Amino acid sequence: MTNNPERVVLLGAHGFIGPELERQLKAQLTPILAVSSRQLDLTAADSTSTLVRLLRPTDAVVMLAALTPDKGRDTATLVRNVAMMHTVCTALSQTGCAHLVYFSSDAVYDNAISHVTEDTPAAPQDLYGAMHLARERMALSLEGSPVLVLRPTLVYGHRDSHNAYGPNRFARSAKDSGRITLFGGGEETRDHIAVEDVAALTVRCLLKQRSGILNVATGVSTTFSAVADLVAAQSTRPVEIVRTPRVNPITHRHYDVTRLIKAFPDFRCMALADGIARMHHSLNQESHG
Amino acid sequence: MQPVMGFMGMTHLGLVSGVSAAEKGFQVVCFDPDPARIAPMRQGEMPVSEPQLDTLVATNAPRIRFTADAADLQACDVVYVAPDVATDDQGGSDLGQINTLLELALEVARLDAVVVVLSQVPPGFTRGKQRVGRTLYYQVETLIFGRAVERALYPERTIVGCAKPEEPLPSAYATFLAAHNCPILPMRYESAELAKISINMCLVASVSVANTMAEICEHIGADWSEIVPALKLDRRIGPYSYLTPGLGIAGGNLERDLATVCRYADQYGTDAGVVRAWIANSQHRRDWVLGVLYRDLLSTHAKPVIAVLGLAYKQDTHSIKNSPSIALLEHLQPFQVRAFDPVVPATAVAHPHCYGAATELDACAGADAVVIMTPWSQFAQLDPLQLAAQLRGKLVLDPYAVLNSAACRSAGLRYRTLGVQS
Repeated sequence: MTNNPERVVLLGAHGFIGPELERQLKAQLTPILAVSSRQLDLTAADSTSTLVRLLRPTDAVVMLAALTPDKGRDTATLVRNVAMMHTVCTALSQTGCAHLVYFSSDAVYDNAISHVTEDTPAAPQDLYGAMHLARERMALSLEGSPVLVLRPTLVYGHRDSHNAYGPNRFARSAKDSGRITLFGGGEETRDHIAVEDVAALTVRCLLKQRSGILNVATGVSTTFSAVADLVAAQSTRPVEIVRTPRVNPITHRHYDVTRLIKAFPDFRCMALADGIARMHHSLNQESHG
Repeated sequence: MQPVMGFMGMTHLGLVSGVSAAEKGFQVVCFDPDPARIAPMRQGEMPVSEPQLDTLVATNAPRIRFTADAADLQACDVVYVAPDVATDDQGGSDLGQINTLLELALEVARLDAVVVVLSQVPPGFTRGKQRVGRTLYYQVETLIFGRAVERALYPERTIVGCAKPEEPLPSAYATFLAAHNCPILPMRYESAELAKISINMCLVASVSVANTMAEICEHIGADWSEIVPALKLDRRIGPYSYLTPGLGIAGGNLERDLATVCRYADQYGTDAGVVRAWIANSQHRRDWVLGVLYRDLLSTHAKPVIAVLGLAYKQDTHSIKNSPSIALLEHLQPFQVRAFDPVVPATAVAHPHCYGAATELDACAGADAVVIMTPWSQFAQLDPLQLAAQLRGKLVLDPYAVLNSAACRSAGLRYRTLGVQS
């Protein structure tokens, strides 16, 4: 059974995933309140009371707001991120909500673990992962509402502002300089998911009021080398792929997405080649106008 | 003079054991406290399905008395207490019925009769039930669904739990056991009770190796079926080692024993990490069909139709407890399904779009994929060319390798099985 939420509140609406999620929710004719950091600084002293005034008990709240790793991986950043979550949880404990979806990260898993399911113990290796794990626990401690924690793998899309290593950086780099630089030979395997698919799955989760923990991944892992080859093959200009001396050990990451399949057996993720083609197209459109 | 044998609890274990004892030439009293269970059995209608069972009941009818009157057990020299022990979803045993029947046995059997607990019980159970003036033993059962009669008639060995293992077994009991022509291994109660669990742990370890290595084969181009003969010729592994990959551990008894070992480890502080890994591997492997089906069909087709052959948890049984087929169907709710099983009716499936096919080929008619979820021997007779003609799509998922892979590929089918890359 599916239920369109009365309203979806997006906190951190103007990041990478937020705009795509907003677009797809609008296509569902779902009422939305999109809140960005410019409209509400969740670390500000009065942010809790402001948020309380904005929220309704019938809202589905999607918490995307976070200072991403490119803005800092230190203790100060962790504290600010936790403070944001504290604001949200405090506000929700006063207003209540119909559903809370927390966007976490695969950084909660130990990098050395190559086969990951939702039952894999969370063992973050850095402060960024520790931050997300702490925020997950804060979300899950909310009483009276179903809470869903989403742990996305590497997300790609032309609007990625962090220039993450992988399809995002490769596509931009191929377009801008005709060159893709790999760490080592690009032997590591990773699961890459298109932002459109992340948003589509989130919409499904909202409609079904899913709770618990869900890894958001395709179940198909590809080497960075193969990703670079895909990007180069689809580029409109010649692309040189440069391999560099390896500094770090090769690690792999594969997701067993059985839980996702069981939740949505009819959901189809975009193939990486198709996603990269779409990204190329969008990047080219951006530069033309 | 041959001892008269009694068997209490006319569920799977007790019934098969009693009928097999009659086949060995013994007079047998088959008791169950429920008259409603006994009545049809007196008419030759057995509540369980096992190869040879119906034939043996008919053949040995003059030697078998089905009764709900506990006083009839007074005629018995040996009384086996043998109800099936139900397990819950957490692998815990429900000892209610064995407790009840054992109390009854100790109350009504002759004082010189031997009472034997045959049902699987936790270590410590039998010792806790001893009574002054009563001779009580524990005997390990090795029932296998689908081979229960064979296992009862021709055991590999008999493991007997005793209060005093160094003492000879009572004459009536020894006579009965000797009729099975296999080694008899007396030991203390707890060793016998744990022996059954230990047997199952060895089987699980072997299966887990097979599943783990088969999964690697599926990715690196090796074929596990080519490797297995080499392993079985290694004396340390042996020709009867259980190395066939499967869809996880199903049926309840193995899962119960895994849970029991974990519980003991937690209670006594011993390490059971490897046991928990086996459990996780079993759960992982159970989803192989769904994963391949998703990869090769569900992720690419908007409205696929899926044929499912086999609903029982294993062949030659009616049981669907912990059936991988039923578990798969729970995750195919959005899709059209056409199901067939030689014994289990499609009405046993809770699915909004399930068609109950009359035959295997009927199930495959117009389907985009066929999944063989229970390795019934009759499925091996299916002609791949006929399958290909019936199917709309050409995907065949055959985790148990019931069909000939070369014949399937020659027929133009996309054939997928455990242990080999697809």
